[in-house]
Amino acid sequence: MKDKPDESTLIAYHYGELEGEELAKIEAWLKQHPEEEQRLAEWKDARMIFQSLGDKEVIAPPILIGDNHRPFWKEGYVRMSLGIAASLLVVMVAARLMGLNASYSTGEMRIGFGATTPPGTTLSEEQVAGMIRKSLEQNNTMILAAWNEDRKTLEDNIRKNVLANSERIDQLVRNVSTGQQEQIREFVAQLHSDNLSRMQDYLQLSNQNQKEYVETLLVDFSKYLEDQRRQDLQQVSTTLTSIQQNNDQFRKDTEQILTSLINTGRSEGQRSAQ
Amino acid sequence: MMHADDLIARAREGDTVAQGKLMQAWYKRIYNFGYKFFFDHDLAMEVAQKTFIAMHRNISQLQQDSSFRPWLYTIAVNCCREELRRRKNSRAVSLHDLRPVDEEQSQVWEIAVNREDNPERKLRQSELADLLHNCLLQLSEEQREVVVMKEYEGLKFREIADALSISENTVKSRMYYGLEAMKRMLERRKITIETIGYEG
Repeated sequence: MKDKPDESTLIAYHYGELEGEELAKIEAWLKQHPEEEQRLAEWKDARMIFQSLGDKEVIAPPILIGDNHRPFWKEGYVRMSLGIAASLLVVMVAARLMGLNASYSTGEMRIGFGATTPPGTTLSEEQVAGMIRKSLEQNNTMILAAWNEDRKTLEDNIRKNVLANSERIDQLVRNVSTGQQEQIREFVAQLHSDNLSRMQDYLQLSNQNQKEYVETLLVDFSKYLEDQRRQDLQQVSTTLTSIQQNNDQFRKDTEQILTSLINTGRSEGQRSAQ
Repeated sequence: MMHADDLIARAREGDTVAQGKLMQAWYKRIYNFGYKFFFDHDLAMEVAQKTFIAMHRNISQLQQDSSFRPWLYTIAVNCCREELRRRKNSRAVSLHDLRPVDEEQSQVWEIAVNREDNPERKLRQSELADLLHNCLLQLSEEQREVVVMKEYEGLKFREIADALSISENTVKSRMYYGLEAMKRMLERRKITIETIGYEG
C-alpha cells in the first residue's frame, strides 16, 4: 500500500473489523510508517482510560404487562356507545322524577314542571302590561320614600358629626396651644440657665489661665535678665584680663629697651676709656 | 432457561413473559447507554423505561430475530434524541445536575455499593469517572452516540449503522474523529495510563 489508508479503514483496523487483503495491506503500510502505528497505540491508551468508566448497577423495575387481547366490551367504540346510552337514561329518569312536561299545540311549545295549565287561563297582553305598570309605580313610590328618609337621616348624621368634630378639633387646638406655650417657656428657662452656667465656667477658666500665663512670663523674664547679667560680667572680666596682659607686655618691652640702652652706654664708655 | 433467540421469537409473537425477560436481560445495558449519553441518572431511567415501553408496543413489527440488538438501540437512541430536544426546549434543571459530586444517597436502593473498597481509591475513581463523563459530554451528539455504542455497548460498525440508519463509512468517520477528540481531551488534562494507575 503506497497511499495513506483513509480514516474508515484505519478505524476498522484498529477495532479489528478488517479482514483479508485489506488487513494485510494496512499491516504492511503501518510497518513502513511507525509514526502512524504510534498514533494507533495512543488511541488504544485513550480507549483503555475511557474503558475504566464502568457500568452502573441498576435494578430493572418489576414489569406489569397486561394481556394484549382485550374483551370486546373494553373496545373504545363500545365504551363510548354505552356511555351515551347511560347518560340518556340518567336524563330520562331525572325528567320523570322532577315531573318535566313538554307539549306542543297550535304553534306553541311548552316546557314546565309539575301539572300543566289549560291554554284558556292565560293573561292577555294588556293585562300583563297593566300589572307591570302598576308594579313599577308602586316600586317607584316606595323607592322615593325610602330615598327621602335615607337622605334626611344622612343629613342629620352629617350635621351632628360635623358639630361634634369641630368641638373636638377646637379643644385639641386649645390643648396643643397651651402645651406648646408651656414647652417654649420651659425651653427658654432651660436655655437661660445653661448659658449662665457656661459663661461662669468660661470666665473662671479664663481668669485662672491668665494668672498662670503672667506668672510664667515673669519667671521667664527674670531668667532672661539673670542670663544677660552673667554674660555682661563675663565680658567685663575678659576685657580687664586683656588690659592687664597688655600692660605687662608693655612693661617688659620698656625694661628690655632700658636694659639695652644701659648696656650700650656702658660699652661706649669703656671703649673711650681705652 | 430459554435461549436468547427463542426469547426474542416468543416476544415477537406477543408472549408477555418473554418480553418481560428480555427487558430484565437488557435493562442494565440500555440504562447504561442512556447514563453515558446524558451523565444523568433520571434521564437514563427515563430513556430505559421509554425504550422498553416502545419495545413492548412494537416488537411484533421486528423483521428478524438477529436484528433485535440494533433495533433496540435504535429505539434507545431515538428516546435519547427526544429527551435532548425536550431539554433544549425546556428551561428545567434536573435535580441530578444539582447533586454533589460524591455518592448519591437517594440511589442507594438502586445501585450496589462495594463496601470493601478503599475509600481513597473509591474517591479517586469517582473523580476520574466524572472527568471522563464530562469528556464524553463534550463530544458532539452524533459522535457520542457512536462512541458509546462502540466503546461501551460493543456493537459492530454494521450494527451501529443499522441502528442509526446511516452508512457504515459515516459511522467509522464519526468514530475516528470522536476518538481523536477523546485523545486530545486526555492530553489536555494530562491523563495517561500511568497517572490513573491502570491495573489492567
